[in-house]
Amino acid sequence: MGAFDIAHLTFRYPGAAVPALEDVSLTIEDGAFLVVCGPSGCGKTTLLRHLKPVLSPHGDRTGSIVLDGTPIGELTGREQASRVGFVLQDPDTQIVCDKVWHELAFGLENLGLASEVIRLRVAEMASYFGIQHWFERPVCELSGGQKQLLNLASVMAMQPRALVLDEPTAQLDPLAAREFLSTLRAVNRDLGTTVILSEHRLEETLPIADGVVVLDCGRIVAEGEPRSVCAHLEAARHPMRRAMPTPARAYLEVEGASAGEIPIPLTVREGRTYLAARAAEGAVAPTSSPVDVGARKRDSVESALELRDVWFRYARDGEDALRDLALHVTKGSWHCILGGNGAGKSTALGIMSRAYAPYRGSVRLFGRDMRRIPAKELFSGLLGVLPQDPQALFVHDTVRADLEDVAGATPKAHALIERVAEQVEIAHLLDRHPFDLSGGERQRAGMAKVLLLRPRVLLLDEPTKGLDAAFKERLARVLERVRADGMTIVMVSHDVEFCASHADTCSLLFRGSVVSTAPAREFFAGNSFYTTVANRIGRAVRPDVVVEEDLVELCGGPR
Amino acid sequence: MRGSFSSLHPAVLFAQFFIVVFSSMFILHPVFQGIALTGASLYSFRLSGARARRFNIAVGLPVLGLFALVNPLVNPGGSTVLFMLGMRPVTLEALLYGCSSAMMFTTVVIWFSCVNAVMTSDKLTMLFGRIAPATSLVFSMVLRLVPRIKAHVRSVACAQRTLGRDASSGGAVHRARHGMAILSSVTTWTLEGSIETADSMRARGYGLEGRSSFRPVRFTRRDGAVAVVLLLCSAVFLGSCLQGSAGMSFFPRVSVAYVPVASPLAYVAFGVICLLPAAYEVWEGRVWARSISRI
Repeated sequence: MGAFDIAHLTFRYPGAAVPALEDVSLTIEDGAFLVVCGPSGCGKTTLLRHLKPVLSPHGDRTGSIVLDGTPIGELTGREQASRVGFVLQDPDTQIVCDKVWHELAFGLENLGLASEVIRLRVAEMASYFGIQHWFERPVCELSGGQKQLLNLASVMAMQPRALVLDEPTAQLDPLAAREFLSTLRAVNRDLGTTVILSEHRLEETLPIADGVVVLDCGRIVAEGEPRSVCAHLEAARHPMRRAMPTPARAYLEVEGASAGEIPIPLTVREGRTYLAARAAEGAVAPTSSPVDVGARKRDSVESALELRDVWFRYARDGEDALRDLALHVTKGSWHCILGGNGAGKSTALGIMSRAYAPYRGSVRLFGRDMRRIPAKELFSGLLGVLPQDPQALFVHDTVRADLEDVAGATPKAHALIERVAEQVEIAHLLDRHPFDLSGGERQRAGMAKVLLLRPRVLLLDEPTKGLDAAFKERLARVLERVRADGMTIVMVSHDVEFCASHADTCSLLFRGSVVSTAPAREFFAGNSFYTTVANRIGRAVRPDVVVEEDLVELCGGPR
Repeated sequence: MRGSFSSLHPAVLFAQFFIVVFSSMFILHPVFQGIALTGASLYSFRLSGARARRFNIAVGLPVLGLFALVNPLVNPGGSTVLFMLGMRPVTLEALLYGCSSAMMFTTVVIWFSCVNAVMTSDKLTMLFGRIAPATSLVFSMVLRLVPRIKAHVRSVACAQRTLGRDASSGGAVHRARHGMAILSSVTTWTLEGSIETADSMRARGYGLEGRSSFRPVRFTRRDGAVAVVLLLCSAVFLGSCLQGSAGMSFFPRVSVAYVPVASPLAYVAFGVICLLPAAYEVWEGRVWARSISRI
C-alpha cells in the first residue's frame, strides 16, 4: 500500500513570518498518479519533503500525515527508507557512487540485504529500466536523462510503495524528460506504485495524471481530476491557468470556464478533435488573414555575428561536431538556435563565444574577424555570455558584490547597478547569496552581471531550462527590454514554445549544420514535427497557427 | 583491452599482483628476475598489444642503459676492475648491479601498468567492500566527485573568462586572484551539492544498522582453481627462498645462490606464478578458438 492521508498540515520555517504550508489537507489513494504544481516558491518542495520524514525540514509543524494507517513519524528508519522513495531535482548531486551497478545497489546495501538478494533486485531493475547496456559504466559518462533514470531505478530497487519526485525533469531536455515521464507512467501502471510528482511541464504530465494539486503561497487552490482543475483555475482567473497545457488553455479561452459538452482537451489529439468539432459548427475561420505575432520588421540586414562555413571537432580523430556551419545573425534581432541532442547547439555557442576555435572557417563579429579581437575588448562591450548554469558566473558572497566586481564600486557604478538590477527585476535580491537564489532568479542575476559589461551581442545557453511559466514570461520581458536597447540576442534552446512566442528568427541545427533558418512564424509553420503544440493542433486547418493566441483565434474565440 | 585473466575474482587478481610485484621488488637473483620480466612483459603485451611493446622498449631499454652506465660511475665497490675512469675504478660488479637494478625497476613498472589496466576502481571497491565497507564507500564517492568537480571548474573558468576574469593569462597576482575566486566558488558549489547528496543518501536509508556490501561477482570454481595454484606455488617459492635460493650479492664479488633441489623447485613455482596471467590469456584464447571451430 502507498496511501497518504494529510490532514490540516501547517508548517512554518524557523523565523519565517508566513507559513510555508497552511492547512493542507489531502488524501492520496494507493496507486494514484498525482501531480503537484504551482509557481516557484509555492511550497511544493516543502510539501513533498514532508512525505519523507528524514527529509522533512525543521520548523513548527501542526497537523498529521498518515501513511497506510501509520502516522509517518512513527515509521522506523528501515520502514521509511524502503516504503517511500524520493527522487530529487538535480540528476547529478543525488548520485552517490561512481559506477552504475554500485549506485543501484546502494540503497539495498543500506538495508543490509544479502549479496544474492541484491544481485537479483539489481538485475531486475536494470532489465526493467533498460540499464543493462550501461550497467558497468562510470556514472560521469552518462547523459542527464540516463542519470535521472538511474536515480529512479536505484530508488525503485528498494521496492517502495510510494514514489515522491521533486521536479525530476527540470534539468532534462524535452526528449529525455518525455522518456523519463513515460517510464514513470509505466512504473505507476505496471507496478501500482503511488506516484507523487511536482512538475513544471504540465503539457506532458497532466494527460497522464489521475489528480492534480495546485499550490499557491502554501495553500491548496485547486485539487482534483486534471480537467476539473483546469476549469477551476480558469473560473478563478488564477495565474496558474497559464501553465496548463496549450489545448486546455485555448479551449477555456474560447469556451470560458463554464465549458461545453466536449471535455477539456489536454493532448494534441484531443485538441484536434475539439478543433474539428468547432469546424463542424462553422466557427473556424481558416481563411482569415495571418496574425502578426513575432514576425517583426527587421530594421537592418547588417550582420552582428556571422559564422562562415565553420568546421569544428573536439578531438583530432573525433567526429566533426560542426560541419560547414553557416549562420547569419542580423543586428538587433533575437535569433534562436534549435535542435536535438548532440546537434551541435552548445558547440556552436562555444564557437561564437570563442571558447573553441574552428579548424576551418571563420567567425565575424560586426564584420571583424573574431580571432583578431583582443580578449579585453571582446568581453567588455562586445560579447556577453550567459552560460547554461549561471552559478558559474558568481564568485562572491552577495549578488551586489558580484555585480560590483564587474562594474566597480564608485557611486556612478552603483547607479548603473541599480539601473540594471531594475531592468532585470532583481533589485530585491541584491543582498542575497547568489547560491540561495531560485533557478529563475539566478538566471536574471547572471544576466545582470553580463549586462553590466554592456555587450552588443548576448549569447544565452538554454535560459529557460527548469523555469516555470511565470519565470519564463519574466525572462522574456527582460530580454525584450534589453533588446529594445539595441542588443542582439542569440539563444540556444530546446524550448520550442518559448522560441515561437518571442524570437524573430529561428535556425534548426542538425548534425552540426544549419538545415533551415527562417523568421520564427514561417519556421514553425513549415515544420511538422519540430514545432509548437498549437501548430500541431491547428496545422491541418491552417498551417500558420503557431502560438496559442492563433489557435484561440482559429477556434473563433476572443483575441 | 580487457583480457580473460582480468575477469577473475578481484581477490585472486589482487593476490596475484601482490605476490609478483612484491617479489619483483626485492629479488635481485637473475633467474627470478628473468622470469618476472618475461611474465610481466608477456602479459602487458597481451593486455595492450603493440603500444605496450613500444612503451616497454622505448622506456625500458634507455632506463636499463642509464642504470647500467650510471651505477658503475658512482659505485666504486666490487673487486673486478674493468678500467679506470680518471681516478675511479669502473668495476664489473657495479655494472652488473646497475643492470640488475634497472631490470628490477623495469619489471615493477610493467607489472604496475598491468595492475592499472586490470584493477579498475570497481574491482577495488568490491575487494575492500567486505573488509572496510566505509572506506570503500568513501573511495567510490570520491571517484564520483572528482570528475564532477573537474567539469565544474572548467565551466566556471570558462564563464569567468567571458567576464574578462581569465585565470589562465595575465600577471601572476591577477591570475592568483582569479584562480582563488574560482576555487572559492567551486568549494561553495561542492558543499552545496553535498547537502543534496546527503539527503539522497539518507532517503535511501544510509546510516541504518547493519549495512551490507554488494559484490556483483561470485567466487567461482575457476577462481578457486587459480587461487589454489597460486597458493601452492607461493608456498613452494617462499619455502625455497627461506632456504636461501633467492640469495644474491654483488659486492665484493658477484655470487649467485644455488641450493640443490630447492632452487629448481623455486624456479618452477615462481615461473608458474609470473607466467600465470599470460598463460591464462593464451589458454582462454585456445578454449575460445576451439569452441568457435565447433560451431
